[in-house]
Amino acid sequence: MLEEVGFVDVQIGAPCDTFGGASGEKQARRFEVYGYPFLARKPG
Amino acid sequence: MNAELPVDPAMLREEVKSKYREVAANPHGGHHFHTGRPLAKRLGYDTALVDAMPDAAVESFAGVANPFLLHPLKPGEKVLDAGSGAGFDCFIAARQVGAAGRVVGIDMLAEMLEKSRASAALMELAQVQFREGLLEDLPVEDGWADVVISNGVINLCADKKRVFQEIRRVLRPGGRLQFADIANGKDVPASAVRNIDLWTA
Repeated sequence: MLEEVGFVDVQIGAPCDTFGGASGEKQARRFEVYGYPFLARKPG
Repeated sequence: MNAELPVDPAMLREEVKSKYREVAANPHGGHHFHTGRPLAKRLGYDTALVDAMPDAAVESFAGVANPFLLHPLKPGEKVLDAGSGAGFDCFIAARQVGAAGRVVGIDMLAEMLEKSRASAALMELAQVQFREGLLEDLPVEDGWADVVISNGVINLCADKKRVFQEIRRVLRPGGRLQFADIANGKDVPASAVRNIDLWTA
């Protein structure tokens, strides 16, 4: 979607176990939910 | 409502407001995600920067990853935080861009704006400002920002394409979008995607 709206040089960083140890962990594990840092650039 | 969207944006917005009103008022109480200093440590934030902040500036932090990991901010940059909550990432950004930079946080929740403005005043961060607004209609002029940051908020917007278009509008040519958000490795059933109660569960 980022490229679809005109961003370039899209990068995705390493996953982070955002919900580990929280009460939402079970649901997060069920769908393999992790947090990620993203980087993209507007051309110009 | 746009028929292509999984849920009604206005209804989702009210659900999100209700959830994050709780996080503003009771940051340590019974949420399904981590908050505050333990979360900042978990996500790899600069410990010295976080330790130097007052509790009020950190306690309602509810991000999902670290938007500064892939690219640090530069002194003097103009930064917009889309969905600034209680202001934690704005305060990190303010330290990175310094007094010559500018940081504008946008949030839709009055309780979070009140909290973030009080913390900015307490920390004497004159380069930080908070405005009420929506990610789908950012109250910022075209091309203003060198960098747009966001943390755990875009996933709570029904019309993500609209949000990314709006972010692109406020970035200057060559500007960066550096955000943190969640992504799932396994497909979520369509029925669950359409269930608005599950978006903040």
